[in-house]
Amino acid sequence: MTVDMVIGASVLAATLRLAAPILLAALGGVISERAGVVNIALEGSMLVGAFVGIVAAEQTDSIVIGVAAAIIAGTLLAGIHAIAAIHWRSDQIVSGMALNILALGLTSYLNFQLYGTTGTPADVPDLPTVADQSILVWVSLALVPLTHLFLFGTVSGLRLRAVGEHPRAAETVGIGVRRVRYAAVLASGALAGLGGAYLSLSVAHSFTDGMTAGRGFIGLAAVIFGKWSPIGALVAALLFGYGNALSTSLQGATIGDTRVPVQLLGTLPYLLTILAVAGFVGRSRPPAADGVPYEKEGH
Amino acid sequence: MKRLLALPILAALIVSACGGTGSGGAQATGGAGTAPAAKAVRIGLVTDVGGLNDKSFNTLANLGRQDAEKDLKVETKVTESKQQADYVPNLTSYAQQGYDLVISVGFLMTNSTWKVAKQFPNVKFAIVDGAPADDAGKTENLPNVANLFFAQQEAGYLVGVIAAEMAKAKVGKATNNTVCSMGGIPIPPVDTFIAGYQHALQTISPTTKILNGYSNDFVDQQKGKEVGLRHIDQGCDILFQVAGGSGLGYIQAAKEKGKYAIGVDADQADVAPGVVITSALKRVNKAVYDSIKAVKENTFKSGDTFFNAANEGIGLGKLDPVVPASAKAAADKALADIKSGAIKPKTDIAVK
Repeated sequence: MTVDMVIGASVLAATLRLAAPILLAALGGVISERAGVVNIALEGSMLVGAFVGIVAAEQTDSIVIGVAAAIIAGTLLAGIHAIAAIHWRSDQIVSGMALNILALGLTSYLNFQLYGTTGTPADVPDLPTVADQSILVWVSLALVPLTHLFLFGTVSGLRLRAVGEHPRAAETVGIGVRRVRYAAVLASGALAGLGGAYLSLSVAHSFTDGMTAGRGFIGLAAVIFGKWSPIGALVAALLFGYGNALSTSLQGATIGDTRVPVQLLGTLPYLLTILAVAGFVGRSRPPAADGVPYEKEGH
Repeated sequence: MKRLLALPILAALIVSACGGTGSGGAQATGGAGTAPAAKAVRIGLVTDVGGLNDKSFNTLANLGRQDAEKDLKVETKVTESKQQADYVPNLTSYAQQGYDLVISVGFLMTNSTWKVAKQFPNVKFAIVDGAPADDAGKTENLPNVANLFFAQQEAGYLVGVIAAEMAKAKVGKATNNTVCSMGGIPIPPVDTFIAGYQHALQTISPTTKILNGYSNDFVDQQKGKEVGLRHIDQGCDILFQVAGGSGLGYIQAAKEKGKYAIGVDADQADVAPGVVITSALKRVNKAVYDSIKAVKENTFKSGDTFFNAANEGIGLGKLDPVVPASAKAAADKALADIKSGAIKPKTDIAVK
């Protein structure tokens, strides 16, 4: 084992690449849950974004339209969740899971219908890179302070948090609880859709069924790990990314004369998380009205 | 009241989602009302979780089924498994309907096939890449199950010859004399490919540096790409993937960094033209076709059947124009030597 395998420049670059999609989902989760709606359909929004992004970019030959379409697709899926969770006050976990299954089924089906067994075309336009990283990596990082400023430095952010902590009190001072919650859930879908665009347009340059592989869920874990704050989410996403980067860079490493088994390395991101949550994070408290449907009095 | 509406609508969404993929546009069946006297042979194919458009394994199995339906006038159907828990019900469904042959695609189904085949001794089964295994994982040959195995190491050896020749002669972008491979997870059907590949490299070009890694996944493209970028950092300029969907990320890394890649199972030249120099073909379609033919002609044989270079079960894919004629000649000679038994590619990985 060498130092380069643990903190080399290439490991750090890989950490950023691997953290970006998790971070985007996590920021979406922070916004949605701060407003009181648990959106586990982030995984689905990401997958739909990945698929629609590649189709739009390939059809129009425009990377801008591809990314925009991915954001819209992720937002639309989140819109269904918003209607179920806010308007119908259904169980948010059930609705979110149903949408994740829908997203997986629909994208796999349409992928097969559109591209058959040959897969997406090889000539999808490229996303620009800055300092050897996809521009979307930098966008995801820039969104951390922006989200933080929005939540803790603006009136809208204060209202959003009020709705997530005590919706009835918010209502009494004239805040439209449902309107704020709709906006928050739609924003979370947009961010997850952007994460999907990053995966399909920047990382893979293609779409394969189920390619998000649980990143939306890991993003939600990062929300909790990061104590429902954008900066916490960044730290959590970087830790997951670093764990994943290590599971690649440590392959072939030996301790004494024994090789580290690759299967064990695959568990690294999750081990790191459990250690961090158990040892360092301490007690974390969700917004008081997180996941609780809001009913106006007299209904 | 409004809350009550939400559940049925969500249920409808779930049903439409499952229905949408379950039929997958790939259902195919012949006439249902055939007379009992001239009963058509009926074949059912069950994919593993990779699904029909995995561009390798399941896609090829389905191709074999479609070819058989066309040529042999048999009735066939395919069911996609969405999760491992679907294997037993999917296999049972065909067996219960009295299908003549039920085909399981993939070593992940060895135990499910064992269970269902024991329960339906009068139905014939074929399993790709494995043999029936009991609940303890112990292999048991059954009189109604054909085990279809592939000599992956022979396909690995052939692409290894191409890679070795190119690394040795520093052809095109292959200037670092370093050649790599990546598997999905270290299991025999994956590792035997890599073992043959490394055997060819060490035989033909002993000075070439060899690296191997795993993505620990068969779906996640980003994990595969990260292993690829790491390998390229370490000097690799020819990258061979044996990792399904995850391997497409490995190929993408080669494409982005201007290196060469080698595909697996199906001919993957179209995945990245000019990057994929050739593919290690594993003709699952032939194995499926041959088993259907055997049932149709009453020559079904239970136990192990091997598909290898000698019976065209494995082979070398299309060669990119960058591959020199001398490398092609060396691969052709290796193929002849494998067929004659003069070369026996190894099945154990040398560089892990």
